[in-house]
Amino acid sequence: MDSKIKELQDKIAKAHLGGGENRIKKQHQKKKLTARERVNYLMDDGSFEEIGILVTHRTTDFEMDKELYYGDGVITGYGTVNGRLVYVFAQDFTVFGGALSETHAEKICKIMDLAVKVGAPLVGLNDSGGARIQEGVRSLGGYADIFYRNVQASGVIPQISAIMGPCAGGAVYSPAMTDFTMMVEDTSYMFVTGPNVVKTVTNEEVTSEELGGASTHSTKSGVAHITSANDVLCLEDIKTLLGYLPQSNKEAPKTLPFELGDEVRDTLSNIIPDNANKPYDMHEVIKGIIDDDSFYEIHKDYAENILVGFARIGGRSIGIVANQPMYLAGVLDVNSSKKAARFVRFCDCFNIPLLVLVDVPGFLPGTDQEWNGIIVHGAKLLYALSEATVPRITVITRKAYGGAYDVMNSKHIGADLNYAWPSAEIAVMGAKGASEIIFRKEISAADDPSKKLAEKEAEYADKFANPYRAAQRGFIDEVILPKDTRRKLIKGFSMLEHKEQVRPNRKHGNIPL
Amino acid sequence: MNIKKILVANRGEIAIRVMKTAQKMGIKTVAIYSTIDRNAPHVRFADEAVCIGEPPSNESYLLGSKIIKVAKELQVDAIHPGYGFLSENADFAEEVEQNNIIFIGPNSDAIRIMGSKLAAKDAVKDYGIPMVPGIDKAITDIDKAKEIGKKIGFPILIKASAGGGGKGMRIVEKESDLESQMKRAISEATSAFGDGSVFIEKYVASPRHIEIQVMADTHGNIIHLFERECSIQRRHQKVVEEAPSSVLTPELRAEMGEAAVKVAQACNYIGAGTVEFLLDENHNFYFLEMNTRLQVEHPVTELITGMDLVELQIRVARGEKLPIAQKDLGIKGHALELRVYAEDPLNDFLPSVGHLDTYVLPEGEGIRVDNGFEEGMDIPIYYDPMLAKLITYGKTREEAIQLMISAIDRYLVAGVETTLAFGKYVFEHEAFRSGAFDTHFVKNYYSPEALKSAKEEEAKIAAMIALKQYMEDQKILRLPIQ
Amino acid sequence: MNKKFEVTVDETYSFTIPLADLEQLDTTPTGPLKYHVLQNSKPFKAEVVKSDMNQRAYTVKINNKPYHIKITDDLDLLIKEMGFALGSSKQIDSIKAPMPGLILDIHVTPGQSVKEGDPLLILEAMKMENIITSPREGVIKAVPINKGTAIDKGQLLIEFE
Repeated sequence: MDSKIKELQDKIAKAHLGGGENRIKKQHQKKKLTARERVNYLMDDGSFEEIGILVTHRTTDFEMDKELYYGDGVITGYGTVNGRLVYVFAQDFTVFGGALSETHAEKICKIMDLAVKVGAPLVGLNDSGGARIQEGVRSLGGYADIFYRNVQASGVIPQISAIMGPCAGGAVYSPAMTDFTMMVEDTSYMFVTGPNVVKTVTNEEVTSEELGGASTHSTKSGVAHITSANDVLCLEDIKTLLGYLPQSNKEAPKTLPFELGDEVRDTLSNIIPDNANKPYDMHEVIKGIIDDDSFYEIHKDYAENILVGFARIGGRSIGIVANQPMYLAGVLDVNSSKKAARFVRFCDCFNIPLLVLVDVPGFLPGTDQEWNGIIVHGAKLLYALSEATVPRITVITRKAYGGAYDVMNSKHIGADLNYAWPSAEIAVMGAKGASEIIFRKEISAADDPSKKLAEKEAEYADKFANPYRAAQRGFIDEVILPKDTRRKLIKGFSMLEHKEQVRPNRKHGNIPL
Repeated sequence: MNIKKILVANRGEIAIRVMKTAQKMGIKTVAIYSTIDRNAPHVRFADEAVCIGEPPSNESYLLGSKIIKVAKELQVDAIHPGYGFLSENADFAEEVEQNNIIFIGPNSDAIRIMGSKLAAKDAVKDYGIPMVPGIDKAITDIDKAKEIGKKIGFPILIKASAGGGGKGMRIVEKESDLESQMKRAISEATSAFGDGSVFIEKYVASPRHIEIQVMADTHGNIIHLFERECSIQRRHQKVVEEAPSSVLTPELRAEMGEAAVKVAQACNYIGAGTVEFLLDENHNFYFLEMNTRLQVEHPVTELITGMDLVELQIRVARGEKLPIAQKDLGIKGHALELRVYAEDPLNDFLPSVGHLDTYVLPEGEGIRVDNGFEEGMDIPIYYDPMLAKLITYGKTREEAIQLMISAIDRYLVAGVETTLAFGKYVFEHEAFRSGAFDTHFVKNYYSPEALKSAKEEEAKIAAMIALKQYMEDQKILRLPIQ
Repeated sequence: MNKKFEVTVDETYSFTIPLADLEQLDTTPTGPLKYHVLQNSKPFKAEVVKSDMNQRAYTVKINNKPYHIKITDDLDLLIKEMGFALGSSKQIDSIKAPMPGLILDIHVTPGQSVKEGDPLLILEAMKMENIITSPREGVIKAVPINKGTAIDKGQLLIEFE
């Protein structure tokens, strides 16, 4: 028996070494942790249980049968993060450069199936050169098996992908179909076709980093939701993000214990500038509303005219969508609509209540926007919000003009509670534009048209640039003092906790993609 | 003169100390406090309490006229100033007297004389009291200071003429340091006492600081209550005191006692006072100054003489005769005091301000803690960082030392650094135990490393116990939370 | 599997402890989580008062004094070596207040060159004037405080270029 135990121990020790010490050293030189180190860091101490540690590939072509490594380039299993069950797969770059084989894919599929059956989040740590070319189509099949499962699991369990090394070709579509894609700066890149192919086909010279590095995807394409400076911070980000999410769509996110005080926040009273044309930082409003330091922003550097992210309010996890007047006056455009729509849909999938903070002057005009389909993309946000059945509360801090007013979680599209600050201006358009149209004749007939315009503008502003018309109609439930906002929201979300809304029976809606 | 109500113009442990005796004597007490001290124990201890102003001392505890106004409104008969703040402010004493309130302390003339080193030396010069070489006129001129320094020879000591407590005091080892040190001393003295003039005197090497407690009544009786040794100092401030001193012979004790009584006579002293002497390595003593107040370290005298000095102060203030004569006084046992400051002995004794997360005092026979703080309190930055005085009493010096060491171990403070560990180092040090030490104890024997190594030993054990626990914790099977 | 651990106490002391050393430690339990320790024949009272295995953070009282302990394993060390740990700059480029107090005087202005030991400012706390001197030679970049203001412990006083 002793020798048999020894045999097992040797096998496990070998598996733990992955591709061997030299390759581990190389991985470290590239400022990357190994797959096993990443898993150990992510999971609570001693909680990780590996599944399929002794799996090896089955390829015999190209003398592959002489190169066998336990685990076959991916570590899979389950463990806990802050005490809660999480499934994880981590591609091991030290084994065949993390290349995906049929068995490698099978291992991933196995834990994906478990994760869906049990109902717990799946975290994928990607670090792979691509398909295992020696296997040919069997490797491609493996990818598709994973894609298919990503889609089946979508909206059932939270799926988080961290790109911690290369991720190219077909491999990119697995992260793309998960809920969140995180990237590590400088050491990760993602693209469908690499710089070499780009050069051959389009004659364009571009580096991997420019083409698909973390900064590219977090600022230009929006593919990456979160970027982190290094492996450790990326893993910390995953832990933080998981903290806001429920285990599956059958649960609500965990509410942290929170001791309530008076919850009046005087800082909120002084944020809106006296001049309606002056910007202010919507982060300040968010900070004033939520629990201390609880805002976790998604897509921070992409479409900055809208802010989205998770936060806690009275311990309760919520999703926030907010116009950012600091950036393009907080206008809605193609990118910001897409960014917000996807976030809203995620929150709705996983029972995370939504708070929408509104200061929006309208949609961004211009050929660029129209030709890029602002009509369809703007519709996405309108659709996503209209469709969402989670508790939804709106606070209008300042401008809510035109169609953008309707889109930004208005009463009419199903918001549960709609608040406005006294500084709110709810109207079809700004006072100047409106007066120019309504009083066109009067103004052009006047001796001093600019003076007349100013007069009419003031008249219009006095009548409509406030929240009271909307409140009269009940489109706004209450005009509240800024400092009471947090109180109202904590109470509001608590009141809406057991909200249930049944949608008409259908296969699925047809969101304007 | 009857005293029914006393206002204590002070805060912290001394305010409580004074009120305790007052209450024992059936006298009502009034506390004053600044806004930041609303929650301080002395406020709760008093029969009445009045807020006197904002946290900075000069907007609260130093507002003499305002305090007197409060005293009058509350029909206070007497004001006890404690130590520090207004205790040696002759103008305040005078204003108190003018308002027909008893100032528990000497009359303002005596304060004025002894408050000025020049006047003090002048007053005692006919009494044959030995003095340290130096100038007899306070100066602010740097060139003059250089001249004097050359005359009496370096090292020299710069002292604020109005000072006390080490503020405005600087040792200058060589001439090139004189200018900058002088400037700092003047600036400190100006901000602390409103008077920037300083004295310059010969710096006595290897000195011991011995002081004599005196007590005088209004009937011409003056007694001394023996000496206190206060040689263990850091930053020129006392931190460990004891009574009696381990070096005084009965003859020297009697000689110094008589000298102290003469000093008190020289200024028609009334009440409790302390005459400070320097004792050089040949046991020559020099008159340093007279402190016209109750000293911080008065408890050690109380323990070895069995007298309550605050009670004596109040009785004298009431016009009574001293209840005891010199010949009836004797020394019984030995007492030690450690000042527990919120300071970091590992970091140059810099103030360590913060929140008292844990604060548990030692108790037991022979242990006395004069304390002004409680667990959960913040230590305000505006005042002296002394938390308490830990005092032990034993039949012998050795017994008092052992009791002190065990008391230090049971004095639990977390949240701020304190002088407790430093105290333990002193009481365990051979130089202290043998009595062969002087005011340079810290310079000669103490280094933060010495404290660190003791702490490091404990830290290592803590580390191993924690690691052991961690290994145990890891063995336990854990399941995901639902 | 870790054979030794780096253990930091109160962020001040750091020990490398081989697991084998634990076996050598002479302890006897005196209650739940309480021990009597004999080290070099000197007795110590020890008590584990707080444990957080996941953060590898413990609080242990030795002779009634609490010590805060952080255990570092091989992975933590590797992470540190790879430079992933945050805030570990060696060059002193700023001076923070060692204690709360009042800024009595400021001797330097931005752009000024200073030598090591030059007085930079005077911080008054507990009525003591503390001269804050320059820890190194360099040029002052910013002095984000004003004379006469009260400051908190750890507040930025001086920035170097």
